[in-house]
Amino acid sequence: MKRLILLTLLTLSTLSAEYTEKVKLPNVTFPMVIDEDFKVMQRNCQWCHSFGYVINQANQSRKFWHKVVVKMREVYKAPISKRDEKTATDYLFKHYGNGKLE
Amino acid sequence: MQRRDFFKTSFVASAALLGNSTLAGETKQPIDSQSISKIAFPEKRPLITYSDRPPLLETPRDGFTTAITPNNEFFVRWHSPRIPTHTEIQDYRISINGLVDNPLYISLENLKNDYEQVEITAVLQCGGNSRSAFVPQTSGIQWGSGAMGCAKWKGVRLKDILHNAGLSKDAHWINFTGYDTPAFNKAPDLIRELELHEIKDDIIIAYEMNGEDLPYLNGYPVRLVIPGAYSDSWIKMLKNINVTKEYKPLYFMDTAYRIPDNECECETQDNLVSKTKPITTMNIKSLIGYPTSNTLINLNSKVVAKGVAFDSGHGIKDVLISVNGGRTWESANLEEELSPHAFRAFKFAFIPKNKGKITIMAKAINRLGEEQPFAKDIKWNHGGYKYNGIDSVTIKVV
Repeated sequence: MKRLILLTLLTLSTLSAEYTEKVKLPNVTFPMVIDEDFKVMQRNCQWCHSFGYVINQANQSRKFWHKVVVKMREVYKAPISKRDEKTATDYLFKHYGNGKLE
Repeated sequence: MQRRDFFKTSFVASAALLGNSTLAGETKQPIDSQSISKIAFPEKRPLITYSDRPPLLETPRDGFTTAITPNNEFFVRWHSPRIPTHTEIQDYRISINGLVDNPLYISLENLKNDYEQVEITAVLQCGGNSRSAFVPQTSGIQWGSGAMGCAKWKGVRLKDILHNAGLSKDAHWINFTGYDTPAFNKAPDLIRELELHEIKDDIIIAYEMNGEDLPYLNGYPVRLVIPGAYSDSWIKMLKNINVTKEYKPLYFMDTAYRIPDNECECETQDNLVSKTKPITTMNIKSLIGYPTSNTLINLNSKVVAKGVAFDSGHGIKDVLISVNGGRTWESANLEEELSPHAFRAFKFAFIPKNKGKITIMAKAINRLGEEQPFAKDIKWNHGGYKYNGIDSVTIKVV
């Protein structure tokens, strides 16, 4: 009987999802190409999103990647400098580009 | 061309399609070879993982053999990186404000005790589900086919809450915001707006999913459930319901999640359509959950293929299966209809009589007579939304 009560209590405690502390999400490594410009990606992108957002996009044109970088500043307010805008675009097109400028 | 005619044409053209086409610009089958992460997220089994912050998790194909998708396999898609945990659940409130007579501040207890409790089984699907099918590839995460799931949702009718708040006579638009926030203050929140006439009886504020509290990653403690609509409208971790007279311009309604506003909902990369509309209503779709690609089957052994089909709520009438790459089709056995908005599970038994590769296809038909087109007949749109091609899985008989 005691065991049954214990089992019931255990079952109930798993059904009710009340959280006593902040839910921690695991860290996943998304393998970006590392070159001399990678630090620009590190300091600009991860405010808002993981590198998974980069490597799980399709390979795209230079114009596409430039628009993405500008969108991150204009819409999502990431503090990307003019200089980093160019470096990030070059990096993305070089490693995740489709070879086309437009 | 009328939409119906388009579907008929695609049916006639079926004999010409054998195997994958590699012609440039033709929509193909979505990616089907993603690996499952070794790392499990809270309350989830390991899933296909596109991002950890914000979390983007996809259900693998084998999760689609039953009408209900278990909570621990259900896909996850957040837009904003800051997702709070509501540890003091007794303090959680949803505000209803704006053009209402009695602004409300509803606790979870109010929701569960002061309103009629209702349940609805409905499919939740990301508008970009299967995006990887489009050629040329579009912007956005290159989802396979598992950014969808079906659950039994329990909660309270939105209508009842709005009624309790008392809408002013000028009330025309209802805005919904969640507790998740962007990294930078002035960045846009994900807000959805519904026009008053869109508020149907089956739109609910849900606190339960398949008999349990909503998992954190699916919006604990409450989310909006809008049967038939894509998931960008099903605001998670609901914080605020604001009633207005005028439509408020919003990034996620006016810029993102939009498709061409023309008959075919299509455009080309060189000729983008300037008049667009929100993606809103889902189209008819099906997916084979078993067997998965490259499964080895013994010659002369019985195979029971399984999968799910759904549309925006007219209900599935038939699912046709081909085991010869689209040459001939036979009806699958449909399981019980849990609701017109739910996955309709199907089964189809066959015995392979020849060695080699077999391509199994599934095509759903709904009560309006609409049926899925072949992948190659699906026209392109810049966001890669609403792919609903006939599903195809190739297995090997040994």
